[in-house]
Amino acid sequence: MTDLWTIFRIIAREQRVALRRGAVLSFVVLAMGAALLGLSGWFITAAATAGLAGAGAVFDVFRPSAGVRFLALGRAAARYGERILTHDATLRALEVLRVRLLGGLMVAPYPRMIRIRGAQALNRLTADIDALDGVSLRLVLPIVAGFLAQIVAFLMILWLVTLQIALWIFVGYIVGAAVIFWRTTRRTARLSRRAEAAAQAFRTRLIDLIGARRDLAVQGQLVVQTDSVLDADTRRLALQIQQDRYDRFAGGAFQMLGTVVAGGALWLGITLVQSGHIAPPFAALGFFAALALLETIMPLRRAASDLGRMQEAARRVSRDIAAPPSEPIARADSEGALDVTDAAINRPMSDASILNNLNFTVAKGETVALTGASGSGKSTLLLSIAGLHPLAAGQIALGGLAIPDWDENALRTHIALLPQRSALMRGTVAGALRLAAPHASNAMLWKVLEAVQLAKLCKKRDGLDTKTGARGDGLSGGEARRLVLARVLLRRPNLLLLDEPTEGLDSDTAKSVLDGVRLILPDAAILMASHRDIETQFADRVIEL
Amino acid sequence: MTSADNPSETTNWLAPGRAHQSKAAILAVIANLIWPLQAWIVAYAIGGLLTGGDVAALPLVLGFVGLGAVRAVLGMRSEAIAEVAAIRIIRDARAHIVKREAGRAGDSTFGGAGSISALAGEKLDLLAPFITRYAPARARVMVVPLVILAIAFSQSWAVGVIFLISGPLIPVFMALVGMAAKDASRSQMAEVGTLNDLLIERLSALVDIRLLGAGDAVLSGFEAQARGLRERTMAVLRVAFLSSTVLELFAAIGVAMVAVYVGFSLLGALEFGAWGGPISPQAGIFLLLLAPEFYQPLRDLASAWHDKASADAVLEDLDAWDATQTPELMGQGGSAARLDGPASVSLRGCVLHGGINVGDIDINAGETVAVMGASGTGKTSTLRLIAGLLEPASGDVTVAGQPLTSQIADAWRTRIGWMPQAPHFLNASLRHNITLGHGDDPMPALQQAAIADVVAALPQGLNTRLGETGGGLSGGEARRITLARAIYGKPDLILADEPTADLDAKTAAAVTDGLLAQAANGTMLIVATHDATLAAKMDRTIWIGAAT
Repeated sequence: MTDLWTIFRIIAREQRVALRRGAVLSFVVLAMGAALLGLSGWFITAAATAGLAGAGAVFDVFRPSAGVRFLALGRAAARYGERILTHDATLRALEVLRVRLLGGLMVAPYPRMIRIRGAQALNRLTADIDALDGVSLRLVLPIVAGFLAQIVAFLMILWLVTLQIALWIFVGYIVGAAVIFWRTTRRTARLSRRAEAAAQAFRTRLIDLIGARRDLAVQGQLVVQTDSVLDADTRRLALQIQQDRYDRFAGGAFQMLGTVVAGGALWLGITLVQSGHIAPPFAALGFFAALALLETIMPLRRAASDLGRMQEAARRVSRDIAAPPSEPIARADSEGALDVTDAAINRPMSDASILNNLNFTVAKGETVALTGASGSGKSTLLLSIAGLHPLAAGQIALGGLAIPDWDENALRTHIALLPQRSALMRGTVAGALRLAAPHASNAMLWKVLEAVQLAKLCKKRDGLDTKTGARGDGLSGGEARRLVLARVLLRRPNLLLLDEPTEGLDSDTAKSVLDGVRLILPDAAILMASHRDIETQFADRVIEL
Repeated sequence: MTSADNPSETTNWLAPGRAHQSKAAILAVIANLIWPLQAWIVAYAIGGLLTGGDVAALPLVLGFVGLGAVRAVLGMRSEAIAEVAAIRIIRDARAHIVKREAGRAGDSTFGGAGSISALAGEKLDLLAPFITRYAPARARVMVVPLVILAIAFSQSWAVGVIFLISGPLIPVFMALVGMAAKDASRSQMAEVGTLNDLLIERLSALVDIRLLGAGDAVLSGFEAQARGLRERTMAVLRVAFLSSTVLELFAAIGVAMVAVYVGFSLLGALEFGAWGGPISPQAGIFLLLLAPEFYQPLRDLASAWHDKASADAVLEDLDAWDATQTPELMGQGGSAARLDGPASVSLRGCVLHGGINVGDIDINAGETVAVMGASGTGKTSTLRLIAGLLEPASGDVTVAGQPLTSQIADAWRTRIGWMPQAPHFLNASLRHNITLGHGDDPMPALQQAAIADVVAALPQGLNTRLGETGGGLSGGEARRITLARAIYGKPDLILADEPTADLDAKTAAAVTDGLLAQAANGTMLIVATHDATLAAKMDRTIWIGAAT
């Protein structure tokens, strides 16, 4: 529930005015609806009374009939305004939420980030956020507006009719609706959680099936995978059937509540008329108002059946959204050296220590190679320097300022890291490069392509429009590797971190690429994790981990 | 175009729920017809009070509540049956998509895994409100207003005329709005699809985006797209809200006119409209209670109309997906008994669907062979022909001494170790990705692939979950994992597609050694490669697409 509240607070903060106006209009809609039917009932009955008494000529017909017309038109207009206002406000707030969620994913801890599966993260950004529109539209606003309408109706009926009927309608609806809502959500919350899990399993497994269909076929696992996809759907539909049943019961119960409250109001009205306490038109008013007030609780049906889904979505989303951007802690414009002092590093996502008492510096213009067996912590050290992995002890400073004190944007202009693996999005060479430097000129792009020995290949194909793509289409693995290196060079960093930069390149190309890198960045400090002789030979200095 | 006007195309998808849908519609109509009885009871009671008649409160109220209970139960029953229809339709469509996608031998042009899972997932879900609401609402519209109209005429022709004039305007207006709504939904649906495919790529590249300091640029791009989506959604909603407001307006004016007319008649100010004398108070109240119910089915249909608009858009998407043709996989891709016979392969005059001729190839059990040729000459396709993942346009593939057909494809594949160029790792542990649920220990295979140490150094070892393309490992490490996977099943032949591409010499040598160690056990080895060093270590090289 706290997650739902967190989400609602964000939505409310974004769209305070619009939501407040929307709430007022929703209330107006409900109140006018109840007033319309109540007034009509009273009007007809009172007119009949007057007609029967032969007093038709003195009965004021114009004010009530004008009231009926005003309420009828006003209600439709208010409803239109309310819907547009609240939906627009909610969608705007969700848009902000979506952007903050993506922002949150971008600053997630590195080990989590690298394992983010596109499909799952997509679930969060689309399905989860979409589910949250109900928080304001189907949960908070209808409950607030409905409750207000009930209170006003109670006061009006109390004033116009009697306490008994007013109290019966108010207590009947509020207590009845609360009980039905509570009982339904108690059962459906768990079901929706499981149904959502099944739905996500279906999606992930289907994506695996499509992505790996040939591999699965050769391994004879395609049928098993197909069955497991369909299993997830069967499980989900079985849960759906149960959810539908509770939803139906809730619908029937709300409907019955309306009938019982209206029937009770009719019975009270008849007995009070018969005992001479009220006139027949007011008994009619009470009954008609009771009938119309069913509209104040009907939205709870949707709210009750969606609550579990909303809670789940809220739980996942509130965990991942980024805090609103804070002021940068410090700005540094250092071009100075990298200083690693007494640094200790733990293995990602565990407490096991991999590096201890590490001390070294890399000066401007120097090239240093880090060597060590697989798993010795070369890559993790580079991540720590790039600010993506926390230190267990000691300090890493760039230009005299500790890495965690750097503002993210400033840090990224000073440090560039080529990770072991990079993703290339579908697009063109120019598009891939301009991700790093949106305003770079074509000449600049050619220069870095030249440095990584890709210029010739691009010229032979479609120049800067040569297609890049995921998984084998477009560029080969080695070409893609060099393209992402070129992209990193475009950042023109003061400190360049390279994780096995020439993996997958033949020796000649590897040598030319390393020379090209130095040529483009003559003054940068370069630190690379290396396992190839060609890289250690290129370095000025080697540090063995 | 797919719509109710053109049933021949939608039958496909909606047929599994048809019988239930009609049952649900009938019950919904009956439930709605109970209200006039309830209304009559109320009118009788209040009318009785006015004329000073003797009104027995309790039986009347019990009758009112009892009929209400019947109405609620019938309503629930109708919903239950409609939900069964929805579940059947969605389940069948989903199963159809999953099975067909499993049987494809290549990617469809419809879109990536993201688009297809969106279609099978949340888009299909959009059919449910259409199925559970539209058909019952349509049935109610055809019956309930007519019955109420008849009742109204029996009481007062003036009220009947009010209904008769205001009623038909609603469907006319609705049809106009419905067309606009469908256009708006279609454009929204398209926006959702492209946004998904784009986002999946971005989300898989988050690390790069952050390291390149491109986060803000990507975020603002995303913001613009999210804004576009919101604007399109609002466009759909605006049409929906406008139309339902107009309907409400008609309904409200109709009810108000009935109320005013009845009021004036009861006062004696209007002397026309009723049959034989002034309208009675009881009839007046009865008519007032009936008026909203005359318009209600029309309003329900109007709101279901928008469900129909989005369902139509989904059905169009389904048809578009259904129309994409791809080659079919041979066999089921299931487990089967191992095919008997020598592990030999023979291709005779095989021509691919693209027109490429891969010529005649004969490979005997235990041989190691490199398949070489320029890019695009069909090296990968040749491996797929041998694995039965692809059927040749013409020519024959013979394996283990018999023609490779769909009947024996699965049994044949049990003997194959498969090493693709770009593996997709399943969203499961590394152990499962290698063993695929078989019980044997994966360690020997990992050792042979020279990757055991790297796996042991992973934070969670064999329980690590990798990203889709092996995120968490380097390219060379991911390649060695696929080698371990190919070795794990103790195959009679290994088909390896560019096993050393993009690897440095050391890693390439490790992979080559792993493959040769397996060949030394008598396993046939067929590698498609550009790598001359690797090819030199094979018994012989087959050139395809060359000297022709």
